Amino acid sequence: MSNSGEGDGRTGGVTDFHPIAKVSVGQILGLVEAIDEVGGVADVATISQEVDMDLDRLGPVLGAAEFLGLMTVEEGDVRITDLSRKLLHANVRERKAIVRDIIDDVPVFRLITDMARKAGRPLSRQEIIEALSARVGSHQAEDLFKALVYWGRYVELVRYDSQSEQLTLRTPSK
Amino acid sequence: MHALLEVKDVTKSYFENGKEFKVLDLVRFDLAERDFVCVVGPSGCGKSTLLRIIVGLDKPTSGAVLFEGEPIRADNPQVAMVFQSFALFPWLTVQQNVEIGLEAKGTPPEERHRIARKFIDAVGLTGFEDAFPRELSGGMKQRVGIARALAIEPLLLCMDEPFSSLDPLTAQNLRDEILQLWANPDLPPKAVLMVTHAIEEAVYLADRVIVLSSRPGRMIAELQIDLPRPRNRKEPEFYGWVDEIYSLIV
Ligand SMILES: Nc1ncnc2c1ncn2[C@@H]1O[C@H](COP(=O)(O)OP(=O)(O)OP(=O)(O)O)[C@@H](O)[C@H]1O
Ligand SMILES: [Mg+2]
Repeated sequence: MSNSGEGDGRTGGVTDFHPIAKVSVGQILGLVEAIDEVGGVADVATISQEVDMDLDRLGPVLGAAEFLGLMTVEEGDVRITDLSRKLLHANVRERKAIVRDIIDDVPVFRLITDMARKAGRPLSRQEIIEALSARVGSHQAEDLFKALVYWGRYVELVRYDSQSEQLTLRTPSK
Repeated sequence: MHALLEVKDVTKSYFENGKEFKVLDLVRFDLAERDFVCVVGPSGCGKSTLLRIIVGLDKPTSGAVLFEGEPIRADNPQVAMVFQSFALFPWLTVQQNVEIGLEAKGTPPEERHRIARKFIDAVGLTGFEDAFPRELSGGMKQRVGIARALAIEPLLLCMDEPFSSLDPLTAQNLRDEILQLWANPDLPPKAVLMVTHAIEEAVYLADRVIVLSSRPGRMIAELQIDLPRPRNRKEPEFYGWVDEIYSLIV
């Protein structure tokens, strides 16, 4: 995994959401399915051909899948992991739970959920952006915020109202 | 006993300056419960026209479409449609977009809310209830389209190229999730009719594939795809079907 586990420093942790920032869950699952179909391992060029996507578009999805622990890339060979196989055989609800366990451990995600928990009230978009900007710069903070909301919603840990621009925590259903 | 849907010698022509422009020619097939049927044909062969006629949004020039033995009507709540372009209301949230069909059906508000939640959950969108379409990826938008269609609990679900505006990875993931939903007997619909120009997609999804010629769309073949599920697009049997349909169209 490209997630630098060592030290778990507060500053080092923040940018580590970057690999999944512009990729959707559906794309990652689609990639896992495609590699599974060709036997669970293939080189990047073959995958690119199989899924009919050039490397510019495929690259971020591969990076995201690797970051989530769903595949390993070694000497150009991409291999799906046991976690991927678990995901493949899971239903929609189980898939969310699996991804939730991963996302919940990502430091930058923790940073925001801890902030909301401590505050005990909804957080405004502005204060989250400020907290993120202090660490990654204002330029990246916007993208990071969007990604946090997207993944947070998907794993059902975050509720965000884009009209009032308020973020709250939620308890996943069932 | 009637078939769920009977498409009887449907012919469609458009007329311009007194000149006939034939789009569909004597299309005839039936759909029964538990049928997942894909109609494939080259671009412009009249697939969307056929689907519009089947759901009652357009009239055939000759022929008829019967649903449970009666002529189809556009306001039939037993038939739902999913569009290539998602057709969501940008000013409504996911929840509201899904509820809209139920509103038209006259379902009371609390009931609407409950049913919409159920189908939002079924398509994996729980967590996005309050999101607006602009906050969603293409795949998620189409999930909303599917949830909205399913929420009216239709007997027949019609889909017009539902995956063709999605990137290939998102499309494949959504195809698989459609099959997961389809495999659940507790969820609607009772039958699916989908049109696509992608032969592989049709062979991947359907129990039966109806092949149309180029315009005017005529039925070239009706093939029972007896491959077990889940299907693997890499297997020779799968490719055999794809090749056969290609050779029929070209
Ligand atoms: N209202 C209309 N008036 C005149 N011609 C029309 C009308 N609607 C469709 N057509 C023509 O009928 C033909 C079939 O159109 P249709 O959209 O049904 O095809 P299709 O198979 O769905 O094509 P595509 O693969 O592009 O989605 C096309 O040549 C189209 O231009
Ligand atoms: Mg069309």
